[in-house]
Amino acid sequence: MFKKNALKTACGLAAAALVLSGCATQNQNIKGQPSVYEDVSTTGAVGGVGIESQDVVAMTDKMMRDMLANPMLTGRSTPPRIIIDNEYMKNESTSVINTNMLTDRLRIELNRAANGRMVFVGRHFSDMVQKERDLKRDGAVDGGTIRQTAAQAGADFRLGGRISSLDAIDRNTGTKSRYSQITFEMVDLELGTIVWSGLYEMRKAARDNVVYR
Amino acid sequence: MSKSLKTLMAAALGVSLLSGCAYKSSSSTELTERTAPITMNSVVFSDYKLSRSWTEGIFGADKRYVMSVVKHGQRQSPTGTSEVYAVLRNHTDYDYRIEARTQFFDQDGVPTDVKPTWQRMTVPANGLSTYRELSTTTQPLQYRVEVRELN
Repeated sequence: MFKKNALKTACGLAAAALVLSGCATQNQNIKGQPSVYEDVSTTGAVGGVGIESQDVVAMTDKMMRDMLANPMLTGRSTPPRIIIDNEYMKNESTSVINTNMLTDRLRIELNRAANGRMVFVGRHFSDMVQKERDLKRDGAVDGGTIRQTAAQAGADFRLGGRISSLDAIDRNTGTKSRYSQITFEMVDLELGTIVWSGLYEMRKAARDNVVYR
Repeated sequence: MSKSLKTLMAAALGVSLLSGCAYKSSSSTELTERTAPITMNSVVFSDYKLSRSWTEGIFGADKRYVMSVVKHGQRQSPTGTSEVYAVLRNHTDYDYRIEARTQFFDQDGVPTDVKPTWQRMTVPANGLSTYRELSTTTQPLQYRVEVRELN
């Protein structure tokens, strides 16, 4: 009887020791949550009322197609020189957005699609170009293989625009609504006339507490 | 309960069950659109909740739709690029928020032009809405428009 009880106690102790040793392990050998890639042109898992990737893609795509259908810009025998950068793209809205995302995507997509029907002046790279020109003129480096010009390219048109917004909040439900309006205008750099305009607008409502950075 | 009433109830139950079986949901694998050949110069609903049809139902071929294509086509823009349009009709009492995109193909059926992008729009209840898309190249193109409900 005594032996039987001793055996039971030993088994119980062994089981308890096993359970405790399991709990005591700090190193967990488990697979982590993988990153999820999402389509940039559709609403992702996190969405709010601000300007998001699908809006950037949709609006720049729309503007690009519209510009290429405008005879003032692409119907010329000599391709016009165009500046597209964020120098005159102002964000006056409550949305947090780097306007370079709009102008960079628009310029790059347009340059690829235009295929020579428009020429883009990289004014945001003018410092870089001037440094190299100075080195060439000073004789520190040779003249390169393409050509030499009297000056950097002047532009015919430049993009300007504005982002503005109108917010509304329902205090009972916490639902937030934002109307965003994004304008794009191509300005003649001699006359000051606007030769092309594009407008993208949207209104979004959400209760999600999304923070944009 | 009389015998005739029981028979009538059984018949009604049978008919309702059969009509239930005849209906194919948007997730059914037997929808015609799932295996339909790809056609050029067309507008398709890639979201079968908007429109679907089948041929193998208990009562034969049938279809269900909340939206339809009234008209579609293409024309040249002033600079020679192609403009595709599709007029969509909403057959419900509710506004539908949808998105559409156009894939352009050259005359040999090879995908060309820039990557298609979903364009969001609203088709008002029992109303019409027109979707438009411009190509970026001036070559003659064929098109295929896909329409789905906005998530």
